[in-house]
Amino acid sequence: MRFSVPQHTVSRRQLLSGTLGALGVSACGQPLLAEELTQRRKKLLLLFQSGGASQYETWDPKPGTHTGGPFQSIPTSVPGVHISELLPHSAEILDQLTVIRSINSGINDHFFGHYAIQAGHNLPGHPVLGSVVAQQLEQSRDILPGYISLRRDGPKAYTDVGDAGFLGAKYEGLRVINAEPPEYLVRPESVSALLMQSRDQIRRRNDERFLQGRRPAPIHAYRDTFDKAFALMTQRDLFNLEQESSRDRERYGEHDFGRHCLLARRLLEAGVSCVKVTHHDWDAHQENFHWHEVRCGEFDRTFATLVRDFSERGLLEDTLIVAMGEMGRTPRINQQGGRDHWGKAWSMAMAGCGIKPCIHGSTNEDGTEVADGEVNHGDLFHTFLTALGIDANENYQLSGQTSPIGDPACAAIAEVLS
Amino acid sequence: MGFILAACALTAGSAPPGGQDTATPSLHLLIDAHIEAAWPEHLLTATASSDAEFLRRVSLDLTGIVPTAAEAHRFLESEEADKRRHLIDALLARPEHAWHLARVLDDMLTERRVNTIKSYDVPRDRWLEFLRRAVDANRPWDRLVGDILASDGSDEMTGPAAKFYLSRDVKPALLTRDIGRIFLGIDLQCAQCHDDPRFPDYRQADYQGLFAFVHRMSHFHDADRKANLIAEKAEGDVTFTSVFTGDIDTTDPRLPGGLAIPDPQLKEEERYQVKPESKVQSIPTWSRRLLLSRELPQRETHGFSQNIVNRLWATMLGHGLVAPVDLHHAANPSSHPDLLQALARHFENTNYNIRDFLRELALSKTYQRSSRLPAGPRPTAARFAVAPLRPLSAAQLGWSILQVTERIATNFQTDAPQSPPDDSWRLDIYEPFEPDVQLVVSAFQGLSGQADGPFAPTAGQALFFLNAPRLNQLFSREWSPLVSRLVGTADSTEVASELYLAVLTRPPSADEVVEVCSLLDDVSELSQRSERVRNLVLGLLLSAEFRLNH
Repeated sequence: MRFSVPQHTVSRRQLLSGTLGALGVSACGQPLLAEELTQRRKKLLLLFQSGGASQYETWDPKPGTHTGGPFQSIPTSVPGVHISELLPHSAEILDQLTVIRSINSGINDHFFGHYAIQAGHNLPGHPVLGSVVAQQLEQSRDILPGYISLRRDGPKAYTDVGDAGFLGAKYEGLRVINAEPPEYLVRPESVSALLMQSRDQIRRRNDERFLQGRRPAPIHAYRDTFDKAFALMTQRDLFNLEQESSRDRERYGEHDFGRHCLLARRLLEAGVSCVKVTHHDWDAHQENFHWHEVRCGEFDRTFATLVRDFSERGLLEDTLIVAMGEMGRTPRINQQGGRDHWGKAWSMAMAGCGIKPCIHGSTNEDGTEVADGEVNHGDLFHTFLTALGIDANENYQLSGQTSPIGDPACAAIAEVLS
Repeated sequence: MGFILAACALTAGSAPPGGQDTATPSLHLLIDAHIEAAWPEHLLTATASSDAEFLRRVSLDLTGIVPTAAEAHRFLESEEADKRRHLIDALLARPEHAWHLARVLDDMLTERRVNTIKSYDVPRDRWLEFLRRAVDANRPWDRLVGDILASDGSDEMTGPAAKFYLSRDVKPALLTRDIGRIFLGIDLQCAQCHDDPRFPDYRQADYQGLFAFVHRMSHFHDADRKANLIAEKAEGDVTFTSVFTGDIDTTDPRLPGGLAIPDPQLKEEERYQVKPESKVQSIPTWSRRLLLSRELPQRETHGFSQNIVNRLWATMLGHGLVAPVDLHHAANPSSHPDLLQALARHFENTNYNIRDFLRELALSKTYQRSSRLPAGPRPTAARFAVAPLRPLSAAQLGWSILQVTERIATNFQTDAPQSPPDDSWRLDIYEPFEPDVQLVVSAFQGLSGQADGPFAPTAGQALFFLNAPRLNQLFSREWSPLVSRLVGTADSTEVASELYLAVLTRPPSADEVVEVCSLLDDVSELSQRSERVRNLVLGLLLSAEFRLNH
């Protein structure tokens, strides 16, 4: 199903899809369209529940059934809609959320799940959401990388699966660990600013000479990265959470997820197109219920704070906040009181960027199957991109080959797009 | 075509090694004749590289590292006739050549892939050593491909070659795609579920025929021996449906453009050498994997010879005769179809001799063009009239940075053994520098599972160059013999000369000498002088001229 694409999106992509784009440099030297300057930029905040959050203990509870587990459901700010008692703060803002209860991805593996859910394709080699958004929404004046990925240290083997694929290293997510600034942002102590300046003059003068009589494009491309690097060095304070009030640091939560979400807000406000925050340890094969108390305890308050904050700051209109994992968890509770991997019927939630707050789809009484409104991860991918003003039915324009942005067999979920 | 043959007859030199018929012109002359025959008149003024350009380029391309200042002195000052030919032969004879080409082949064959579970893969240094030995022995390409496709990980000598399979988690769909791409120059990924909607010559039947060779393979981890092996079943047929047409078909193993090869009829009890059981590597009597290893690397296999000559051409000349190198089809033909055929036939007739082929490429005028643009309208890359500007690979960059410190050259002088039986000791000299090289490589390496695309530098890499503390340490007076000797050289003109030779493999221009003098004259205080020298070295190291092969 095709959606009408705002004219500015098409022209921005045309601007960026020339040969300079293929050289890894935004189209510099091209006149900026007036629309590009005044158009408000769309952003994506991806909160990734790595390991797979249980839909029973979050968005699609089944209390009193043989699959439902011990927790109750609670009413929300949407009359008639109940979610798990483990998400009281999210319940209060449910009227701002879109909850999809009918995902059937057919994937119950961490590795494949991390890739396919983020790439929107099952075929390997495609770029993940963050890289896609970075490439599609970049502008020539951008200093910050288009995609920054935040997580704590000590990843699992599957945590970092998925990358920029054929879009290449330029769109690879800048990795920030434990909310620390990325490497090499500061001049080393042993080199004074004056020395640095003199060194750089030598570099630039040599480039000028080398340019004489040679093909300019690769030399310009390389030289431009130094301009970008110097500009990035001036942005180091962006990563300093001490600059946020202690109240905000408390509201977001004094744990890595909370800190990373607060940092994400700073980065998005500063113009980064996509920030991904990984919330770890959802893979509850043992003691599922205790685990979800802990994980939801962290997730719930931070998530609700984020949505409220963005709304109050007027950012929600242009920011899509997505909360999901790579799969759900089994209806069956195993012998260790855990739930295992489950891709057949699970949930996610999102808000912002014109997505209609509502509950989309449903599962049957015990949550063993999707009952209505079935969608897959390819459809979700289309939906996210459409909300961000990107037509996922189009192809990338890259030197060498074209490739569809979204899986051609999938489509955006019309019911949630306004 | 008549013109090309005539040109070759007039200029035919002595026959190159490799048992070639003396009546056939040398390959490098054939290359030049084909390339120049296609040129409009104004390109005939395209210039040859200077000795300095050529020295740096061929050192990087054949040994993966820039020359030392001493080597540059020797070559630039030499008045020997045919010095370029002798340099090529000398570089090919060095152990550094096999060391470098092993990395090039590794990149081509694995594209930085590692098994999802690291311990399920061949350790990288074992795999690189396998490749290095193969290059050192100048193993013919068809034999090497046979080794790689046949390996099940068990053999002492060819076990590491199973990395091709293991780095792809022995996933049949991924193997099908990459065998097509890497050994045949075709990317059949979009032909898995239907005929490729973009390219009529990529058919689903071709994908599935290739798939039929590998779909019975799986990974087996022998926990006791800590070995990673390829297990294989004796049964399993490939049936496929086109999601476009709904047609159902079956296929035996079949290479694209080739004939289907059915399994021999075997009685049930004869089908396995080692029957499938848990904790056992199942080995069938009839192995489709071994069938692949025999059938694919043949001159009759469609695309087999063309693919490798095109890929070798692309690594040296910066741009394939078919580009992208893994997407050859009717609507993406070679820019020089006759030349591509000639290269393929030559390669076959010289027994798939990689070293000879690289030598011929390096000898050609086409390879030895300058990167300076000729007068007039700029020629396209496919004309091969101008040497391209190519980025150094991550490994070339890392090793070249270490080379510039002159620490490696110093160790060569101090650590050379008294009377070595051969040159293999040279590789030991490089070992202590691996960690520093790895620091550079991790900052510049491409993504895993992605072939290297066009030059796409990043701001993160520029930040590394600007701010990595280790770079400043490597070029401190205490650590770097180059910086130390430049600091100790009183005459600034001499400093300029040595500086440019060491970092950029060329003499400085008059302006550049003036610049160095203005920075160093009357600066005698040791720490100030050291800082300025280091600045000069790093300033040039960070320039595009160093970053690029030109």
